[in-house]
Amino acid sequence: MKLKLRIKGKEYQVEILEERNEVKIKIGDKEFSFEKEEKEEIAIAQVSFPKRNFSKKEIKAPIAGIISEILVKEGDFIKKEQKVLLLSSMKMENEIVSDFEGRIKEILVKKNQEVKEGDTLIIF
Amino acid sequence: MKNEKLQFKIKNFKTLPSTNQKAKEIAKEKLEAWLIIVAEEQTAGYGRKQASWYSPLGGLYFSVVLPKSNIEDLQTLTILAAFIVAKVIKANFALEPLIKLPNDILLNDKKVCGILTENVIGKDVRFSVMGIGLNTNIKEFPKELQETATSLKIELGKQVNNLEILKQIVEGLNDQLKGISE
Repeated sequence: MKLKLRIKGKEYQVEILEERNEVKIKIGDKEFSFEKEEKEEIAIAQVSFPKRNFSKKEIKAPIAGIISEILVKEGDFIKKEQKVLLLSSMKMENEIVSDFEGRIKEILVKKNQEVKEGDTLIIF
Repeated sequence: MKNEKLQFKIKNFKTLPSTNQKAKEIAKEKLEAWLIIVAEEQTAGYGRKQASWYSPLGGLYFSVVLPKSNIEDLQTLTILAAFIVAKVIKANFALEPLIKLPNDILLNDKKVCGILTENVIGKDVRFSVMGIGLNTNIKEFPKELQETATSLKIELGKQVNNLEILKQIVEGLNDQLKGISE
């Protein structure tokens, strides 16, 4: 694949050659080659880590207690502020509401299960 | 009704399924701390683990919308509420209440009062309501409860003033919460 690139008014001829395990990029008379698989892996590792942190939607136990009721199912679409489960804790009843809107991917707890503070309960 | 520190706003209802339920509904719309929901009777009163609370006419059933507090303070407040109710009973009547921590008060080994704090929590505590069911002027209990429940009227043989008791409990709660939240 040949491309023309114009950078700051100057035109460059760029040629991208894909071979089995290698990608060659020729710019003018300079040639750069990259090993394909390795590069891809690094690229994924670099971009996916922070991305996952930013978009991770999950509900965690705000305090230790016992799950007394689960009010939603995997696959349910949940609105923001919707009640998702009841957690009995320190002799109080706690309604856990969702901070997110979205479809529930996984419920990691069962009724009557004991949870610690910070345990992940629901993943979106 | 007021004391020096705050104005209590009371919403009275003839009948409600549950004062806690109503208080949560109202707080979800607009959070107003120290709003008190009172019902003359509850048709679906409940305690912890959804256990039902017998709530016929004559008893004192109310819920207090609490100011935003951290969860440890709310637990402390629940325990303090039991002390306050016991203190009010002791101060007004010749009775010896026993506190069964943190939620119940007994007279002669029978339940006379139950307290249920409910918190609604997202990333943090959105709001909390505390429900108190006090068996004041209940003449008699159904057979299945006679061994485990009693009322002030049964113990004293006379009527008590629900509004006066309510006022003393809420003032006590306010004093205590000020102390632990500051």
